[in-house]
Amino acid sequence: MSRYNLKAAIISAGVVVALTGLLMGVRLGQSGGGLIITGAGPDVYWKIAAAALFMFLFNLFRNQLNALWRALPGMPKSPAGLTAVTEKPVMRRLFWCFLIAAALIWPFYADRGGTDLATLVLIYIMLGLGLNIVVGLAGLLDLGYVGFYAVGAYTYALLAMYFDIGFWPGLFAAGAMAALFGFLLGFPVLRLRGDYLAIVTLGFGEIIRILLNNMTWLTNGPNGIGGIPKPTLFGLEFSRRAGDGMQTFHEFFGIEYSSVHRVMFVYFLALVLVLITLYVINRLLRMPVGRAWEALREDEIACRSLGINPTAIKLNAFTIGATFAGFAGCFFASRQGFISPESFTFIESAIILSIVVLGGMGSQVGVILAAIIMTLLPEVARQFEEYRMLLFGLLMVLMMIWRPQGLLPMKRPHMELRT
Amino acid sequence: MKKPYSKALSRIIAVAAMAGASGFAMAADNIKIALAGPVTGPVAQYGDMQFVGAKMAIERINAAGGVNGSQLEGVIFDDACDPKQAVAVANRIVNDDIQFVVGHLCSSSTQPASDIYEDEGILMITAASTSPEITERGYELIFRTIGLDSLQGPTAGEYIAEQVKPKKVAVVHDKQQYGEGIATAVRDVLRENDIEVALFEGITAGDKDFSALISRLRQADVDFVYYGGYHPELGLILRQAREQGLKAKFMGPEGVGNTDISAIAGEASEGMLVTLPKAFDEDPKNADLVQAFKDKNEDPSGAFVFPAYAAVQVIADGIKLAGSTDPFDVAEALRSNSFETPTGTLSFDEKGDLKDFNFVVYEWHADSSKTALSE
Amino acid sequence: MPDSLYYFIQQLLNGLTVGSTYALIAIGYTMVYGIIGMINFAHGEVYMIGSYIAFISIAALAMFGIDFLPLMIIGTFLISMIVTSAYGYSIERVAYRPLRGGNRLIPLISAIGMSIFLQNVVRLAQGSRDIAMPNLIPGGINIGPQEGFSATLSYMQMIIFAVTLISMTLLTLFITRSRMGRACRACAEDLKMTNLLGINTNGIIALNFIIGAALAAVAGVLLGMYYGVVNPHIGFMAGLKAFTAAVLGGIGSIPGAVLGGLLLGVTEAMTAGYFSSEYKDVVAFSLLILVLLFRPSGILGRPEVEKV
Repeated sequence: MSRYNLKAAIISAGVVVALTGLLMGVRLGQSGGGLIITGAGPDVYWKIAAAALFMFLFNLFRNQLNALWRALPGMPKSPAGLTAVTEKPVMRRLFWCFLIAAALIWPFYADRGGTDLATLVLIYIMLGLGLNIVVGLAGLLDLGYVGFYAVGAYTYALLAMYFDIGFWPGLFAAGAMAALFGFLLGFPVLRLRGDYLAIVTLGFGEIIRILLNNMTWLTNGPNGIGGIPKPTLFGLEFSRRAGDGMQTFHEFFGIEYSSVHRVMFVYFLALVLVLITLYVINRLLRMPVGRAWEALREDEIACRSLGINPTAIKLNAFTIGATFAGFAGCFFASRQGFISPESFTFIESAIILSIVVLGGMGSQVGVILAAIIMTLLPEVARQFEEYRMLLFGLLMVLMMIWRPQGLLPMKRPHMELRT
Repeated sequence: MKKPYSKALSRIIAVAAMAGASGFAMAADNIKIALAGPVTGPVAQYGDMQFVGAKMAIERINAAGGVNGSQLEGVIFDDACDPKQAVAVANRIVNDDIQFVVGHLCSSSTQPASDIYEDEGILMITAASTSPEITERGYELIFRTIGLDSLQGPTAGEYIAEQVKPKKVAVVHDKQQYGEGIATAVRDVLRENDIEVALFEGITAGDKDFSALISRLRQADVDFVYYGGYHPELGLILRQAREQGLKAKFMGPEGVGNTDISAIAGEASEGMLVTLPKAFDEDPKNADLVQAFKDKNEDPSGAFVFPAYAAVQVIADGIKLAGSTDPFDVAEALRSNSFETPTGTLSFDEKGDLKDFNFVVYEWHADSSKTALSE
Repeated sequence: MPDSLYYFIQQLLNGLTVGSTYALIAIGYTMVYGIIGMINFAHGEVYMIGSYIAFISIAALAMFGIDFLPLMIIGTFLISMIVTSAYGYSIERVAYRPLRGGNRLIPLISAIGMSIFLQNVVRLAQGSRDIAMPNLIPGGINIGPQEGFSATLSYMQMIIFAVTLISMTLLTLFITRSRMGRACRACAEDLKMTNLLGINTNGIIALNFIIGAALAAVAGVLLGMYYGVVNPHIGFMAGLKAFTAAVLGGIGSIPGAVLGGLLLGVTEAMTAGYFSSEYKDVVAFSLLILVLLFRPSGILGRPEVEKV
């Protein structure tokens, strides 16, 4: 092998020019009915030239750079503190307590916008945890998870619109309806494998959204459903004026009305729901069904040999995952007060899936961390307005290259034989 | 020796941030107006129209001495036309103690956000959302400076029934709030006038191939097609209709009245009918303002530029009349007075809609010029 | 009932036109999947970029005075294919090669990220507005009676059929007859073994990405000229449909991708023609689900062999 990769260097510089030269160096425009092109300006040309030169030099001296890189001390594989947390049970418990405590005091320190954003994060955590059962634990690639989210949201919204159902019964109805959908859809498709399952679930997700959009007589179509009631606390409303036969929170406790109360209440409610979700999933994981999910993901044939019914187990995972999406959907509907089919597009599924994968499949702390990052990133990057989505996409790619196992990969309890 | 350097750097950044913060505090007695709409996303170009108009109004009002001695300050919020982000934006506006909002753009964003504004005592004027439902909920603080879908539909429908008198009509829409709303209104008016609506159907926004639909229109032998939606789809429908030899007249709402439609459809856009608000930038009264836009290299012809300008001006005048910046007082002032704006003399009804906002039927030409057919 | 017969022919032609382009894009999915078992989600964006490059090169060629139509179109195809090949190659190097051999979800996520990234690169470089160009090849022929309903077939549609047919033939010849094609098939059969036998599998995988991207460029140029409109968002839906077509026909099989594409296109046109445009996508996806329920590996796909 030669010292300098001249050929590779020339090729890569050429590729850079091919990639950017026409697409970025030239701007398409419209004049009258015709098409015109204009140069993008010297600064863009300089950037293209600089990028090509960089790739040229980088590839030319790649061997040397590699040697240099190896000479550097190795980087720690993952943040040491976090690994310790996930390993020692005591530390683990402490970490959870700390996390919950931080979540509890957050709204008292953050402003209204911050609390509202945290609520959104919690909704995504709930969705992430639900999908985590299907994808992370049972290993079924579901690209249409947003369909169940939509079913949950619409169940509550429709019940509220037609039958004046309140938030709490609505929550259960939404969960039950989503579970029913999960069961009915899961039944035929779960015998498909891998990527076939992925595309079929994607199809189902799209079908649900299009049906919601088309059935104007029932769902109001693209106009969406507005005026969805907010959650109440034991029958107490969080509004300036109480509805008929209702009492408001501030009147009951004799405190000044402040709209922040409602934002905080919605936040706490979301927190409680997330904690319940976490608890339930943790219990399930230790039950035979949870063990069976993971076993199935690892080796389906071995499972069948051991007398586990794969279809039943998969259906379980699918249904339970859908239930949590239903809860999250109901919650989303009441936070928004208005829903329309455009909130439930495929890109939403992709984001939820990214949360699961980014966090480290199967890992619950990872899902929480990833949900925070994925929701906050667009908000934080708002200063870069224009470049927001660009950075989002780039980060997803880089993340997968550098830490494909996710931020906090799952460590499952295991025993080893020692001699 | 990397660390000390980066520490020093972070200190500089912190100092700069604090300096920025104090500069912010000094400007605190400005009257802030939140300009909410899409800066990013697929409809960012419409958001732009709104921002251009609103910013110009703020600039000119400030140059003329501001409002009751204070200056106006516009703060842009990006909702990307995503309902979820619109709620987040609304909460941040509440958070930043801003009391006036010009926005949002998409009806599906405006609707959930307006719930919050009404609740929190913030005055909102939308210059672009045309869904009737927004003002139908009896809200006190929600206004708009643009006409409603339910107004535009009947204008178009009556024009078709009285002037065009087609034999067989097809009404097509893009299955979105705006398009379907107008299309339904048009269909209802046509049916009342005993005109046969042979086909009422939705397409998928963002689609590129409408050949199947056009074949169907040809088979149904319609001689007039009303399309509720935006210009990218209608442009393609016109183009493909000409290609297949469908001989029918087309008509669309303001969402299709965009110079881009002639670029897409070419010759096929000749003779299309469009309902538009009066072209404010062609009003000789506004020549001075149009020149001001052109001096800044901005395009004054966008549909929402002038309504957004009017929205800001109405807020400013409302504050002057009310003598306070309390949104409830200003809302009261808006309802009980009328305002001279570049979009005409505006007065608001109980719901917060304009009392009379007229749409005019234009005939579109292939060079994207237009001639008015009705007054 | 000649009217309804011609109507049927018209809808069939409409469907086959759309279907041909689905097929061209679907081949990119199927080739990559066949060889490394990964879904290249960014493939739709490559099609979108191909369309943009087509617009740019048509404008550029016209500017340099090359307005002889066949020359212009051939030049456009070449430029567009070269550029998208560079994209195909880079996507493989950046988003796939470092991730090969791990969990199969990982490259899927990185490809979704890549897709968002590319879409926004184009948006920032070219703006998010629709860019349109006039119809370069107007006109067509009528099939059927002078009065009443007659089916029309435009010259552009004929070109789409012809180019699709030529590309398919060339690709099939390449895969079945050439040395490199044989290497491709060997890689699809058993990647590790092929590598052990001294074939540069990295090169072959990159080649698959490049061929897929070049075919997406063909689709991009054809559809760019046919519809005359391009914007940064067209890649997503086209990619989704093509992916559906690839799975419908049996992912990994090239004839399957063609069949799936045509079937999907015709189904959509027939639904829109005889039922309602609103339910076009619902019917398309339902067809996919139904086919997979009865043939879990697609129409022409080989059933997966379970290995212990």
